[in-house]
Amino acid sequence: MISLWHFLIVGAVLFGLGLVGFLTRRNMITLFLCAELMLQGVVLNFLAFGRMHGSLNGQVFGLFIITVAACEAGLALALFLMLYRRGRSLDSGLWQTIREQGVPPAIDTEPLPIETEEPHPVLPVTGMKPGVAPREREVTRA
Amino acid sequence: MPPEFADPKLQLALALALGALGLYLLLPKPKRRSVAAGTFLLIAGLAVLGAFVAESFGNPVGQLVPDILFWLFSAGAVGFGTMLVTQRNPARGAISFAFVILSSCGLFLLLAAPFLMAATIIIYAGAIIVTFLFVLMLSHVKGPSNENDRAREPLLGSLAGMAFVGLILFVLLGAKPAEAATTSDDSETEFALPATLLTKADRSALREVHTSLGEALSGDDAKASHEKAQTAHDKLAEVIGGDGVTGKRKPVLERLAPLIGDPKRPTTHDPRLLAFTAQTLQLQKANDGVEDRYLLAAPGKADRAALQKLKDEVAVYSGNGQLPARNVSNLGLLLYSEHLLAVEMAGTLLLVATIGAVAIAGRRKGVPA
Repeated sequence: MISLWHFLIVGAVLFGLGLVGFLTRRNMITLFLCAELMLQGVVLNFLAFGRMHGSLNGQVFGLFIITVAACEAGLALALFLMLYRRGRSLDSGLWQTIREQGVPPAIDTEPLPIETEEPHPVLPVTGMKPGVAPREREVTRA
Repeated sequence: MPPEFADPKLQLALALALGALGLYLLLPKPKRRSVAAGTFLLIAGLAVLGAFVAESFGNPVGQLVPDILFWLFSAGAVGFGTMLVTQRNPARGAISFAFVILSSCGLFLLLAAPFLMAATIIIYAGAIIVTFLFVLMLSHVKGPSNENDRAREPLLGSLAGMAFVGLILFVLLGAKPAEAATTSDDSETEFALPATLLTKADRSALREVHTSLGEALSGDDAKASHEKAQTAHDKLAEVIGGDGVTGKRKPVLERLAPLIGDPKRPTTHDPRLLAFTAQTLQLQKANDGVEDRYLLAAPGKADRAALQKLKDEVAVYSGNGQLPARNVSNLGLLLYSEHLLAVEMAGTLLLVATIGAVAIAGRRKGVPA
């Protein structure tokens, strides 16, 4: 029988994964999705405890978490759009100028790999050059 | 399996170390990123974690289908979650997040939360993911870029996350009761909600009612089922009260009467009391329904659905035992009685967030578009 503990473990692992992503990733959208991953883990915990006690209050809390997450998504997207307009990038490292005083800046030392993009295929030039049809030429001459 | 490997703490540590190393190798960075090795380590870590869970918390035998579904959905949620964290392309990350949502919705169904499952799929997979994909299209980058191909302190980050998971799992390991695998309904604990006024004796009586209703429903013998249902009906009437009932204890409705006055026209404004009264009256109605449609019905026309409904109501009411799967109406009752203020506040929050989003994202003069 699947018990409460199994669901608690899944919730904890989801929360931990979201934590890793939130700490390490730099794309703001990925950051946000990782925060949502953590919220999923929390909702799972609420539901599992509610199921264990035969009480529906856990589900009510889950509903409120979803509501808050939806609000958060709307506001975060608006903020991302504004930041993207200012910095032309979704990199959160771009905004480290607002860090705490006395903290050294994070500087990227290793160069990014240069992606050797394959050139687009080019068709060889064959056949006649498209021009005005012969009959139309005659008509214009006349 | 050698004994030193079967120690759960060692298993847990091994799983977490494999997970941290795999995450470190998989996180995007200019050098030392190895997808194959990272994936291999993560799968090994997941397998060790699964073995740890199965050994320490019981590998279920008996109910095959829920167990298979549980392992399937949880593996899906964790696997796609890892993909979301380590994926370089944020659009693919958003898609794998949608799969995380679908998997965890499966887990919600296993936890008897059908309404929450539907709401989560609609809101997350339907609305949030699509909006994110729109923003991603607006801000599309070509080739390697700082935000997608670099990670901030990948080793420290993955170690911190895994240490957190290890802490929680270690506490869970220490806190589990001796028979964690079998005790899912903790019968002797006192929990305040939703039935605040129930005494311990009430609860045990309700549990007996629940058990005999289950026996009445599962039995093949019509006469025995009828008797069981009759016992359950009488006992329940004794607990909650009704017309012409004389029991040893004071029934719940009698105890409620001085607190709220007439149930039809209550004198109190305490939402919890009102909700509890409403729930009690609903249970009484279901009990009457069983009397009319099952106990007093002609032998061929006995309505088992009424019996099932009463069983579900008793489970929710007593706050003990397993939550019935069809609990959407009870969720609505709870939401709009006990949590009415919170619902209103959530609505206000949504409104404020909408206005705020429009105000933030709107183009203004002076800001380069």
